Amino acid sequence: MHTLVRTEVLKLRTVRSPWLLLGAVPLLVIAGISGLVISNPGALADPGTQSKALAHVGIAALFTLAFGILAVAGEYRHKTITDSYLTTPRRAPVVGAKLIVYAVFGALAGLAASIVGLAVAAAWWSAKGVPFGWGDSAMWTTIGGGIAGCAALAAIGVGLGALVRNLVGAIAIALAWIAVVEGIVGQLVGGLARWLPFSASQALGAASGKGMVAAQQLLPRWGGAAVLAAYTALFAVTAIATSVRRDVA
Amino acid sequence: MNATITVPTITVHRLTKRYGAVTAVDELTFDVVPGLVTAFLGPNGAGKTTTLRMLLGLVAPTEGEALIGGRRYADLISPRQTVGAVLEATGFHPGRTGRDHLRVIAQGAGLGAKEVTEALDRVSLTAAADRRVRGYSLGMRQRLGLAAALLGDPQVLILDEPANGLDPAGIAELRDLLRGLAAEGRTILMSSHVLSEVAQTVDRVIIIAAGRLRHAGPLTDLTAQGETLEAAFLRLTGTTQAPGAAAPARG
Repeated sequence: MHTLVRTEVLKLRTVRSPWLLLGAVPLLVIAGISGLVISNPGALADPGTQSKALAHVGIAALFTLAFGILAVAGEYRHKTITDSYLTTPRRAPVVGAKLIVYAVFGALAGLAASIVGLAVAAAWWSAKGVPFGWGDSAMWTTIGGGIAGCAALAAIGVGLGALVRNLVGAIAIALAWIAVVEGIVGQLVGGLARWLPFSASQALGAASGKGMVAAQQLLPRWGGAAVLAAYTALFAVTAIATSVRRDVA
Repeated sequence: MNATITVPTITVHRLTKRYGAVTAVDELTFDVVPGLVTAFLGPNGAGKTTTLRMLLGLVAPTEGEALIGGRRYADLISPRQTVGAVLEATGFHPGRTGRDHLRVIAQGAGLGAKEVTEALDRVSLTAAADRRVRGYSLGMRQRLGLAAALLGDPQVLILDEPANGLDPAGIAELRDLLRGLAAEGRTILMSSHVLSEVAQTVDRVIIIAAGRLRHAGPLTDLTAQGETLEAAFLRLTGTTQAPGAAAPARG
């Protein structure tokens, strides 16, 4: 497994495109925080606003989902999956290594985005003359949840890519699921959406603190964590099981 | 290496693959022995690629077995150091350099920079090794695939259309390489459509059509009566079209 993990890392280090996706994570956070400050400068002193700003880390998990999809579906796309399975015919550890490596890199992207986000938020707060509360526990919990959400969605992406195997198809399915199933249908059917994976990840990385009004019905943070963990395990196990049995065209 | 008894290293026994109602490979049985270059021939859709994929553990047989050294590919201890494969289905990430492509395989197979450098040298890709594959010609990609197959210095080489895209010098080099490897006692199984080239390279011929074995034996058996390999092939695979006749119009 150690060899497989190092090989997956080497695969990532020797290409550029996955890094573009990971690089989008801090950019989204910067944009989100800046947008929040510009649209509502008066709210900076309110409790919960710092948490709201850093909740963008969890939203940026969308990009780590796409990043995770690259893991297996990308190899099918470039037809390097054959070489991967020729080198390691026991496929379960290969997929397992991808799950681990992509989840870790997803978390690191979330971490980098959090650090950048904190710096940007602190700069904005200072520019508006409001002291930045570094001890804001709601903010730190949000950051922790956001990083975990980035890692989990990266792993789910790996699983989705392994199941669908077609890169464009997997991305299309992911986006359609989030926009249509979770976004619209879930909301119509009495808040069912909060039990679905992307909403669970949003719950995990959501803003909290006094005076917060939820923009959408979400599970409490620990509920989101448990549900998301269950989905991650489900995708991982299904992806490994199907990868082992399938013919490689 | 001079073996007086040639133990078959590739054994295919009653190998069958069905996709629903379609039987792609039908009770195929043959051996491939070391020290020779063996051709694996058949018309398009004969089941050659499916058979090779079953040998390499990429496709699961419906029935029967395809073994290398008596083992399934998945049971080999160091697959890349036992079998090298060049398949049409293998590709390269366009953004990766040729060297990095080999480094990734080497890393997974427990091999190092030395093996990568040697493999690149063997296929004359050292100069282009640090360029991204998207800038490679077809011939260069083919050579990179061959380098990947040679990385582990394997005893067995399985090649699907290896001369595809090579210029005449490349084809001649490949022929010399394969014959040299066979002379070292390795097992070479090669599939190709260019029968004139096959006739210059191989010692044994296995012909399949519609998933079934049509012929297995020395090349000289087929050409002994003055029949060309092409004529023997067309006869054995039941193709009614005479050589040199116009090909059907393509839509």
